[in-house]
Amino acid sequence: MKSFRTLSKLSALALAAGALLTASPAAAQRELVIGVTDALTGPGAVFGLPQANSVQMAAREINAAGGIRVGTTTYNLRVIQYDDKTNPTEGTNAVRRLLDRDNVKFLLGFCCSGATSAVASFIRREDAVMLVGNAAERAITTQGIPNLFRTRPPADYTGQAAGAFVARQGPRRIAVIGSLEVGLYVQYLDAFEKEFAKSGGTIITKEAFGLRDRDMTPQLTKIRALQPDALLVIGYVEPAAFVYRQSLELGLTVPRFGFTSGSEEQFLRVVTSAQMEGVWDLKPTELTLESASPVGVRFDANYRAAFGSSPSPSAPYAYDQVYVLKHALERAGTVTDTRRIADAIRTATVPPEAVMRYLPVGGQMFDENGQAYTSNGAFQWRNGRWVFVEDLPSDPVDYSKFLRSLRQ
Amino acid sequence: MKRALVPLAVLALLALAIAAPQYITVRYYVQLILLAMIWTIMAHGQNIIQGMTGYVSITQAGLMGVGAYASTLLSIRLGWPVWASMAIAPFITALFSVFVGYPSLRVKGHYFAIVTLAFNMVIFIVLMNFTSLTRGEAGIFNIQRPEPLFGLVDFDDRVAYYYLVLTVAVVMTALTWLLMRSSIGRTLRAIRQNENLASACGVAVWKYKLFAFVASAFYAGAAGALYAHYIGFINPETFGVAQSLDAILAVILGGTGTLFGPVLGAFAVVFLPEYLRIAESFRLIVYGLLLVVATILMPRGALPLLGRAWHAAARRLGFPK
Repeated sequence: MKSFRTLSKLSALALAAGALLTASPAAAQRELVIGVTDALTGPGAVFGLPQANSVQMAAREINAAGGIRVGTTTYNLRVIQYDDKTNPTEGTNAVRRLLDRDNVKFLLGFCCSGATSAVASFIRREDAVMLVGNAAERAITTQGIPNLFRTRPPADYTGQAAGAFVARQGPRRIAVIGSLEVGLYVQYLDAFEKEFAKSGGTIITKEAFGLRDRDMTPQLTKIRALQPDALLVIGYVEPAAFVYRQSLELGLTVPRFGFTSGSEEQFLRVVTSAQMEGVWDLKPTELTLESASPVGVRFDANYRAAFGSSPSPSAPYAYDQVYVLKHALERAGTVTDTRRIADAIRTATVPPEAVMRYLPVGGQMFDENGQAYTSNGAFQWRNGRWVFVEDLPSDPVDYSKFLRSLRQ
Repeated sequence: MKRALVPLAVLALLALAIAAPQYITVRYYVQLILLAMIWTIMAHGQNIIQGMTGYVSITQAGLMGVGAYASTLLSIRLGWPVWASMAIAPFITALFSVFVGYPSLRVKGHYFAIVTLAFNMVIFIVLMNFTSLTRGEAGIFNIQRPEPLFGLVDFDDRVAYYYLVLTVAVVMTALTWLLMRSSIGRTLRAIRQNENLASACGVAVWKYKLFAFVASAFYAGAAGALYAHYIGFINPETFGVAQSLDAILAVILGGTGTLFGPVLGAFAVVFLPEYLRIAESFRLIVYGLLLVVATILMPRGALPLLGRAWHAAARRLGFPK
């Protein structure tokens, strides 16, 4: 009888120990799904695909480092991504699929303004948190949407700084050629023009090209006849690269400024390095190895190792989103209460893993509009690569107030 | 199908559509059905000019854009009630289409298709560049849903909006049915069969063709207004030539000139690309191949094929003729 009791006690103990050993890691290690909608095909893919890759890469890094610790539970990230083809209806469907079918609460990516704006118009009503990347249309963060945050500053924030920089370089009569039917480029140009005019500069012509246009010689021929002091090119990488090439082919040798955010690799698919020599890109201080912190250099190396190509300069906007989310989840102590998580993001400081050089407003990464700001920079093409030349003076606090004043 | 069974089948489908939001647990599919119903309205319009009259118009999405922007601007810029804006938008689109149809219908066949294609491009360019009114590519945000009905039905709720779209889709389908059965419908079919003969018989062909074009625009305008106030954001991207080609495809896939073919085609056009997301970057290739195969194997659309399949099944099961 005694031996039976001992045996029973031992069995109970063994069972309890076994339960502890097997159950505790399983209970504490869970999966958290995050959704990415981005332009994975079409003209926007030059921005969308690197963004989606960056999210995947950040998620893998976080998982390898032990996951996200929320309370007593550790979460590994799993990424589901859909193509929005930069189309508003496709973007809406992709997000609805993530929210309704895949039960995702965290939406990342969003490189292009059309699809992003469509999602922004209903995301307020959803139990979700949306982190916007490269989409630079200003109105996305003028609506006071409490669960929407953007890592890239709006285009006109950069345009203003660019206008002042170009004026300092000396040209007085500038010809503009760009995707002038795209909202963010129009906003960049408006701010540029206002600032440029303060120094007595004028824009002598504004020529437009479409996203898929490849022959810009008619516009450039007209511009050449006007004898401008400089050329300002604003648009997606590929058409901009064609403009740079064709301007030289037509003998237009004036200084060339731009707002494109393309990587060296993306430009060199269209134009030679010699044809690019001396071109300026005036944009948020995005990823170039010249301007990058050690974190940025590591990001670049890891990206190349993972995907076999260089990241686009704007890719880290999405990479940083994942770390913003990670820290917010850990601070909020929940993965389900999106309101608390949004509050945690709103009061977050810049995460140490961030690649971009953010300028905090009031010590926080995002202002009251849900908008983050980076510094703006002047980059110049020298000997086959973009070289960071100088910071462009930018005032995020002042711009933040302006953005708030636009809220309807 | 036996004639008496048709109303029963229609009622069964209607009952299914009414019950759908209650038993579909994944709301994403409600979204897709809702969009498919909006596309149904648009495809009915396309069917009037393409299927009934025999004129392939490539401007249906552009006209949908006119309806979407008309309703949006009336409600946002002029502060009209959303109900009033949505109600007036199809009429504005119809009026606009008179100016498009008048020159377009001077030509026939492929030339008509090309002229309407050009009009779609003109609409797109105007929407893109008239930024002070349309905000161009940046688009218009925060388009409101209709005001609560009698203070009871809140259309911010997707299911409530679903029933609104379902109601409009049913009404438009009924209107199409009435049109098909009317003398106007018969005249339009006569024009499709032999325009010269119809003209020789004393039919004012040109007036009927203009009527068909304007009616199709009316449907597109209604679809556009419903779309704008559902999605909450519009920009010209949605109203380009590619979407007009989708409308043509919906009619061809479902069954040209039939009543329920465009319904079937509209659902195919919305659901197929979404279901093919599993093929990710290959999905558009797969979608394209499916369409080519379907068009070759079903030149008259899916509906006649389904009808034949039904007859075959009925014969095998021994149902009386």
